Parts: sequence; structure tokens; C-alpha cells
Amino acid sequence: MAAAPDDSLEVEATLRAVLADVLGLDRARVATFREETPLFGALPEFDSMAVAGLLTELEERLGILIEDHEVDADMMETFGALLNFARTKALR
Amino acid sequence: MSGGGGSPGALAFERFRVGDREEWLMRIGRPHAPAILFVPPLFEEMNRTRALIVATMRRLARGGQCCWLLDLSGTGESERELADVAWGDWRHDVTAAAAYVAEKGKKPLVASLRSGALLDAGAVARGWWRFAPQDGAAVVRDMVRAGLAGVEWAGYAPADGLKAALEQATPAPVRTLRTLRLASDRAEADAKIEGPALWRRSEPGSSAELADALAADLQRWSRECVAF
Repeated sequence: MAAAPDDSLEVEATLRAVLADVLGLDRARVATFREETPLFGALPEFDSMAVAGLLTELEERLGILIEDHEVDADMMETFGALLNFARTKALR
Repeated sequence: MSGGGGSPGALAFERFRVGDREEWLMRIGRPHAPAILFVPPLFEEMNRTRALIVATMRRLARGGQCCWLLDLSGTGESERELADVAWGDWRHDVTAAAAYVAEKGKKPLVASLRSGALLDAGAVARGWWRFAPQDGAAVVRDMVRAGLAGVEWAGYAPADGLKAALEQATPAPVRTLRTLRLASDRAEADAKIEGPALWRRSEPGSSAELADALAADLQRWSRECVAF
């Protein structure tokens, strides 16, 4: 296992890469996502199987464990909410 | 159609017997060419990798291989309902399909994608190849998580017994195995390749580059397995 990412910029870069890979989105488009950019419920690519893929890929690439009870629509509603969740898990 | 079993890119469907029932195999390639039997992933990933598998099969057929892809019981063209399928049925499907392929032509190399690797160990084969294999527990976790945001098990309704067996399943050790993974995957592998995790995507399309890479790797491994 590689070391856990140790700064928040790396977590953000990892999250953007996972979103591009899992949802099949253009990396240039994902690079334009801001904190308020809506995700779950707003992007057709973000379906239920994509939720599973997103969580699993984040676990693997950030070296974290996500419990089912931590997952809800709110934490995936915007890019900022998801980034905040990923940072909280990865950087503690 | 030319002689000798048709053009290498031609697609055919054949029925094979499993106990007292019959299931379907799709074939691309001439029957007496070196055989590769593809075992697809389970549930939604089966749909999401179908175009990739068929694109890979076409490339391999052009390279002189005979590729087969089975429909597991309760999926694809199968006449059975998924709810009636037991875990052992799927393992028997793969074993019976490999026997059918051997009877029609040559003993196959078994090429499993993702959770297909949980089903492939009982086959009589000249070798095994697994792409991004995963434990059954990981499949169950994905399906449960898919339910967190929508429909339970993404709309699939297998029997409780099948779910319980899947949860315990791991890719079984086999002789003459090559494991390939994506570069983004941290797990151990014999080799890693760049490419997208198409099985995660709601509209996977197909990746020509990934199909090229898989076909090239399988073509090399198929040649090596002939030598074993």
C-alpha cells in the first residue's frame, strides 16, 4: 500500500481523477468543477452503480474505509461536499 | 462466407448442454483455431463490459483465435430466471461451456473479467487469464452501495443463497494463470495496463485502446499456454 495522501491538494487531485475515471467525464471538464458544482442528481452519468464505483475507487486510491452509514445524497450533492468528505476521511 | 468455418470475424450462436438444460455461447472465429472462452462479470458489470469483450474477441479472431463468450444462467439469452439460479449453477455453466468448446475444437484458454474469475476454476483449460479480478465480497459491497443511492442491488434480484455464496467467493488458485489489472488498481498483478474502468460507467461505450491492449496481451498469453 502506498502512503496515504498527506495534503489536501493531493486529495482534491485524486477526487477529480476518480470522478473522471468512474463517470467517464472529460478531464478538462472535471477540472472546471468548483465547490458549488452539483453532482449527484445533476449529472446523468452519476447513477447508482457509479456511486458504488466512486466510493470503492476513493477507498482504494486514498487508502480509506467508508462506512455505509456515512453515505447519503448530501455528501455527493456538490463537488465541495464530496471534497470535504474525502479530505475529512483522508487527512485525519 | 468462405470455407473452413466462415470468415474470422463472423459471429455465431451455439447452444451447449449443462445437466438437463441448455445455455448459449457466442462464437467469433473459426472453430478449429486456438480457443479462448470468455467469462463475463456478474450483474450490471456484465452489461457494461459486453462491448469491450466483443471488441476484444473480434481483434483476437482476426489474429487467428476462436473466441467464445457464454451467457450465464439467468442472464442474456438464458431461458431461466435469475432468481432461480444457484451459485453452483454458474460454476457448472463455465465448466460445461469449456467442455463444449473443447469438444467442438480445441481445449480453451479461459479469460475471465472481474467477477467472472470467481467462476472459472472448475473448467478444463490450457490456461487461465484474469482481468481485474475481485472477491465476491467486493461485488456484494458494490451492489449494496448501488442501493444506497437508488434501487436495491441496482434492480437485480438473485436468490439469498446465491448472495451468501457470492459473499464468500474468491478467485480460486489455478495453474498457468496470468493476472492483468489497470494501472490505477493497487492490487497485485502479473502486468498492468493503462485504460478506463469501463465497468464503472453508466454509458461505457467501448475503448478501442483498451480492447487493443487486452487482445494483444491475450494473444501473447494464448501462444505461451500452447507451449505448456
